Amino acid sequence: MIVSFGRVIKFSIQDIYRNIWLSLVTIIILILALFTVNMLLVVKVVGDAAVGAIKDKIDVNLFLKNSAEEDEIDALRVKVSNLAEVKEVSYISKSEALESFKEKHRDNAEILEALRELGKNPLTPSLVIKPKDLEIFDDLINHLNTFDDEIIESRNFTNYKLLLTQINNITDKVTRAGYLLSGIFIFITILVVYNSVRVAIYTHRRQITIMRLVGASRWFIQMPYLLSGIIYALVSIIAIMFMFYPFLSLLQPYLETFFVGYNINLIEYYYGSILTIFGVQFLAAAVINMVAAYLAVRKYSRV
Amino acid sequence: MIRLYNVTKIYSKNLKALNNINLNIKHGEFISIVGQSGTGKTTIVKTLIGEEKVDQGKIVIGGWDITNISQREIPVLRRQIGVIFQDFKLLNKKTLFENVAFAMQVCGGQARKIKKIVPHVMKIVGLESKMSRYPQEVSGGEQQRVAIARALVHRPKILLADEPTGNLDSLNANEVIELLLRINKFGTTVILVTHNREIVNRLKRRVLTIDDGYLISDQAVGKYIL
Ligand SMILES: Nc1ncnc2c1ncn2[C@@H]1O[C@H](COP(=O)(O)OP(=O)(O)OP(=O)(O)O)[C@@H](O)[C@H]1O
Ligand SMILES: [Mg+2]
Repeated sequence: MIVSFGRVIKFSIQDIYRNIWLSLVTIIILILALFTVNMLLVVKVVGDAAVGAIKDKIDVNLFLKNSAEEDEIDALRVKVSNLAEVKEVSYISKSEALESFKEKHRDNAEILEALRELGKNPLTPSLVIKPKDLEIFDDLINHLNTFDDEIIESRNFTNYKLLLTQINNITDKVTRAGYLLSGIFIFITILVVYNSVRVAIYTHRRQITIMRLVGASRWFIQMPYLLSGIIYALVSIIAIMFMFYPFLSLLQPYLETFFVGYNINLIEYYYGSILTIFGVQFLAAAVINMVAAYLAVRKYSRV
Repeated sequence: MIRLYNVTKIYSKNLKALNNINLNIKHGEFISIVGQSGTGKTTIVKTLIGEEKVDQGKIVIGGWDITNISQREIPVLRRQIGVIFQDFKLLNKKTLFENVAFAMQVCGGQARKIKKIVPHVMKIVGLESKMSRYPQEVSGGEQQRVAIARALVHRPKILLADEPTGNLDSLNANEVIELLLRINKFGTTVILVTHNREIVNRLKRRVLTIDDGYLISDQAVGKYIL
């Protein structure tokens, strides 16, 4: 049995080698298919990161009058906290607002200079409200709009929801296109593998006739071709592992400029769980190739 | 050894390749099957190795009813029956040694056993000195002898030869027939399908004559009658 298995592997490699050009084409198609699938994954990771980054930043500000008394502020704060849509409310005092403003613009001498010239703190205290759930963001805004407390000076309700919907729309569209493209590539892969195995069998038809004649088992005759499918998958997975790294390295700086201050690292994501990601892809590719090879073998190996 | 009971093979509606053939071949016989082209001789060979299923009747080989043999059992049958053909069916990219070894490799033979048996059968066919040559580098008769050597590696009880001399001149043909006789002497049942009148007449062995799918004559010491 072990002897036979060694020989099956040898035969399989011979089969691939005898039709080396066809084998190369098959592997290139597989690589393209895998590339598409991985691009899909990248889009998903980046999309999720974008949504996460924005969700993190979402808050609603109620700017208060400078003259607001502490107990008035507290009362409003309690009122806002009691809203079902609110996760947490924090009070930013005038001086805290100034501190964080200075911190934010610490590299910008002009702004700091202007601030000093002004001589006094131009900022207002505010309530920073984090919504519980984006789905009910609109309700929150509506509720907040009904508060017409004396001490509220202005409201900042940036419509993050629209932004998120847009991002989701884009990732959805790209994902759907990706699925379609992956589907097409998987289909092409099946055809190409099927055809390669068919040609390999055709090339070896004389050998197969002889094998059948001298009493080789069906397992022994067919196994090399099924194994070829696995070898194709293995070679292309290894190739894509090496090709994807420089690709991600190329992409990474763009992502970093796009997501300032938010930690997104595709390379880490990919190569942190390299075995899982590419392992699953290898298994899927191997199964697809085996099925294609099996169909070809079943149809053509009875020469 | 081999028994055919009312065997009929129908390829298509109006083509009965074999018609109600009854046959009893005993162990150790050397038997010739003759007949004109397209009369069903190769079809008999094919049914004996499970390549074609018969439509009626029964085939028993060495007590084993192979009439409805399964795909899985065919390799077992084939290892007990050696077959050679007019076109030697050798692999041109392999040496003679490799061609014979191939038959054992694909059946899971141990490397050690292959190393021992291949030179042995090559010696039987008289080619032990040419084992490292390629098929194109030897004569047609020698190629056929390699095919015979290959057929012998599983020590078959039966050797089927479907027009083994069809592509050979009479000198080479005689050598092959001599070899088949020698193999028969060791106890292997030999079935020789041939067109060659001279050979049949000289053999003075049992001759079956097939015509249009019918077994029309079965003589113990036969002559080529058509
Ligand atoms: N696979 C097949 N399908 C349909 N008809 C076939 C098939 N194989 C053989 N035949 C037909 O069956 C008949 C017997 O064929 P077979 O090959 O047994 O003849 P043969 O006696 O060996 O002839 P030859 O001496 O030319 O080799 C022929 O008419 C042939 O055309
Ligand atoms: Mg014939």
